[in-house]
Amino acid sequence: MSEYLEINNLQIGFRTYEGDKQVLNIEHIAIDRGETYGLVGESGAGKTVLALTILNLLPPASALINNGEICFDGENLLAKSQKEMRESYRGKRISMIFQDPMSTLNPVFTVGQQVGRVIQYHRGLRGKELEKKSFETLEMVKLPDASSVLNKYPHELSGGQRQRVIIAIALSCGAEFLIADEPTRNLDVTIQAGVLKLIDELQRDLNISVLFIANNMGLVNVICKNIGILYRGKIIETGTSQQVIHNHFHPYTDALISAIPRDKSEKLKFASAIVRPEAVGGCPYYARCPQAMDVCAQKEPLLEKINNGHQAACFLPR
Amino acid sequence: MTKFILRRLFFGLIVLFGVVLITFIISRVVPSDPAAKWVGPRASQEQIALARIELGLDKPVYVQFWRYLTDLLHGNLGNSLRTRQPITSDLKSRLPATLELVVISSLAAVLIGIPLGVVSARNKGKLVDHFSRLFSVGVVSIPTFWIGLILQLIFFRELGILPIGGRLSIDTTLITNVPNITGFITFDSLITGNIPLFLEAVWHLILPGFTIAMYPIGLVARMTRSALLEILGEDYITAARSYGLKERIVVWSYALKNSVGPTSTVVALSIGYTLVNTFLVESIFAWPGIGNYIATAVTGNDYPAIMGVTIFSTIAYVVLNMIADIIVALDPRVRV
Amino acid sequence: MIQYRDFLYGLRPRIREFGKSLYFFNRNRLQMISLIIILVLVLIAILAPVIVPYPGQIMKENNPTDKLLPPSGKYFFGTDELGRDIFSRVLYGTRISLITAVIAVAAALLVGVPLGAIAGTIGGMTDEIIMRITDVFLSFPPLLLAIAIAAFLGPSLQNAILSIVIAWWPWYTRLIRGQAVSIRERQFVRAARSIGTPMSQIIFKHILPNTMAPVIVQASMDLGGVILTIASLSFLGLGAQAPTPEWGLMISTSRTYFLDSWWYGVFPGMAIFISVLVFNLIGDGIREVLDPKTRKF
Repeated sequence: MSEYLEINNLQIGFRTYEGDKQVLNIEHIAIDRGETYGLVGESGAGKTVLALTILNLLPPASALINNGEICFDGENLLAKSQKEMRESYRGKRISMIFQDPMSTLNPVFTVGQQVGRVIQYHRGLRGKELEKKSFETLEMVKLPDASSVLNKYPHELSGGQRQRVIIAIALSCGAEFLIADEPTRNLDVTIQAGVLKLIDELQRDLNISVLFIANNMGLVNVICKNIGILYRGKIIETGTSQQVIHNHFHPYTDALISAIPRDKSEKLKFASAIVRPEAVGGCPYYARCPQAMDVCAQKEPLLEKINNGHQAACFLPR
Repeated sequence: MTKFILRRLFFGLIVLFGVVLITFIISRVVPSDPAAKWVGPRASQEQIALARIELGLDKPVYVQFWRYLTDLLHGNLGNSLRTRQPITSDLKSRLPATLELVVISSLAAVLIGIPLGVVSARNKGKLVDHFSRLFSVGVVSIPTFWIGLILQLIFFRELGILPIGGRLSIDTTLITNVPNITGFITFDSLITGNIPLFLEAVWHLILPGFTIAMYPIGLVARMTRSALLEILGEDYITAARSYGLKERIVVWSYALKNSVGPTSTVVALSIGYTLVNTFLVESIFAWPGIGNYIATAVTGNDYPAIMGVTIFSTIAYVVLNMIADIIVALDPRVRV
Repeated sequence: MIQYRDFLYGLRPRIREFGKSLYFFNRNRLQMISLIIILVLVLIAILAPVIVPYPGQIMKENNPTDKLLPPSGKYFFGTDELGRDIFSRVLYGTRISLITAVIAVAAALLVGVPLGAIAGTIGGMTDEIIMRITDVFLSFPPLLLAIAIAAFLGPSLQNAILSIVIAWWPWYTRLIRGQAVSIRERQFVRAARSIGTPMSQIIFKHILPNTMAPVIVQASMDLGGVILTIASLSFLGLGAQAPTPEWGLMISTSRTYFLDSWWYGVFPGMAIFISVLVFNLIGDGIREVLDPKTRKF
């Protein structure tokens, strides 16, 4: 299948009053049509920045797009103006759902008004037709009692309900690519499973592609075909979920996976604390890596092939 | 919701009681000889003695306060020393003139101030923003009485195109029969079909209206700008943008609706400032309103009048704030 | 008192961070200019008796023949109806305006801040009572209370200052109380209370230093506001009395003559405008530095 979304050499930074800081340095990400791709990284790794960059929603005053391209269906999104993004891509072809369902919904409008506004804008429906479509959209995300939800305000709904509403809004306009930025982060564990299942089903039913961003492996394991691990703005390992989870290569991936205790007999292993000073110009994981070598401090490792489709940015011998 | 309104009304009444108490303290307890203040500087000893009995100054304080309170509730603010009329009727006849100015400044605040603040917030950091911020800060720093004088200097003295003051020119008031239906000359002349009179009234409104509108415009623009900046940083705005909605809709509908609360509060505050600014503006432009009334009362040591206007204006202001609070409470997030 | 030492101790890290952000402050040209102008004003105020060209003409007249002269090389701002040099009087007026503003704001802070801190931290009945009183005072349209009090106390500059203090303190109380309420729920306050820190120390060492930011912004802008208020009071006849060279009073007296002698009213008003403007700008600048939300980044 042709590359649907491809990110190459993306370098993003931010202006702060302590100078410019680089936040993302992504060599390569490739997502196919109809695929769910999992992006895993800890807090501060740059996941949300990546999500916002795809839709060019970064704050213009402080964000610096230094380099790179984001090719969606053959076109470089970074080269497009805000107007083009708004008219051709946002909502229409690429949509996004955010982490905190409460803050993503406008508190002074009802659910129906918010869903309706987006549908009206994209599909030009009005009146009865608009109501019908809004209702159907909420049914699509399996919200029980959709008609009463339409009349409620966001603060009157539960976390899980809100997140479903947001998924509904995001997909209401026929988007073919969904960016899900940690959609289950602020939900209770039992609700998480429901939302996860919903996204998986929607992906199959609507035949869309999903970029699923998460901070723990357990979530991406089940529904993702390919996985990428993000550490400090850099992709350090990527491959099929089978490869990354069961045949992982990079020490950080190892730390991520072993941090989930599976068995009472296993000792609690955890990602090591900082054991040596940072290496400027070297591997970003150098300071915490239990297997660091001298070369790791001197050069920055690039993604190199381990297997078919499996790559890691590490100097360890394959 | 009705419960909230009732609660707010009750609270407002308590506050009003406190206000009455404070005005009582100021006018009766603070001065060394309240009776002398009540009858004025040219009173004779007998008049002062009479006043002392009338005011009940020989009685204990709480009795005095009771008299004060009941007088107020009957609408009795006393008599002005200068006009010798009941203050309430003085105020009633002067109210429309002041209201014209207050209405102009409120409209200006909302119709000019809010859009200015919005444009400023949207274009943060650009030239438009800097200009409007400078304008807002400048306008709230200018002494109202000074700018009035300058405007008179330029437009009356040098250019001769606008009148120096008054609601109508002296000739007109002597010759024409000015209709007095609502007291608003502009309105009355319109509905009686007297167009030349209407135009003249408007002509006279320009300078005082402009002077009094400046402060509210600046204040509201500043506050709207900062409120909107905060709102525009919220997640739901980014989300709305991610759905592809037009920026115009995102700002003027999505964002602005969230700012109704702080905006109505600041509009109420700016009206409060306007109330006091009318004292200065009306005395400069010889505008026969309540502000002029209290300004002359101050120079003339007309203490009853001073107190009367204070009470009246404060009650109006309290009511205004109550309305603003109720509007704020319309926000669905507020648990009422 | 121990409390003040604690308070100052709590301020130190904030002052250090404030100093760091001042570098950012300096990059904004407008604030720099305002700061310079304020320093100039302070200098003028301090040195007024020395630098004024006609020291004898501040109060009484010296030169009854030179009445109402337009600005010239001899009298930069012209003369008034008593032949006094307006330039000298305006310069001297800087002293009056600045000193009264500082006194008024300082006094209002001294009354309002502790009340607000106590109300916010202790809560309960004390809070209710203090806030009700504050609410009543704040229900008066701004300035009106000052006018009423000044009128009944008798017009004088001191009484004007007093009435401003009485009318102004509630703003600070409400401001601080709001801050205190939100801070007292924060973890570090709860931690301090859980190990038994006495209330006075909690207020002065933990809560107050964290509430100072908006108060500082407000106070610096209020310096300008008070200058304007005093001028307005004097204009109405309630503040400075003749022959004090107060700016508002000068404008008021100028009304009889200004149509033909424009210089009389224009220059004092300009002085008011500039002073108030720079204090407002500085306040804005300080707010941008202290409040991360409105920062440029």
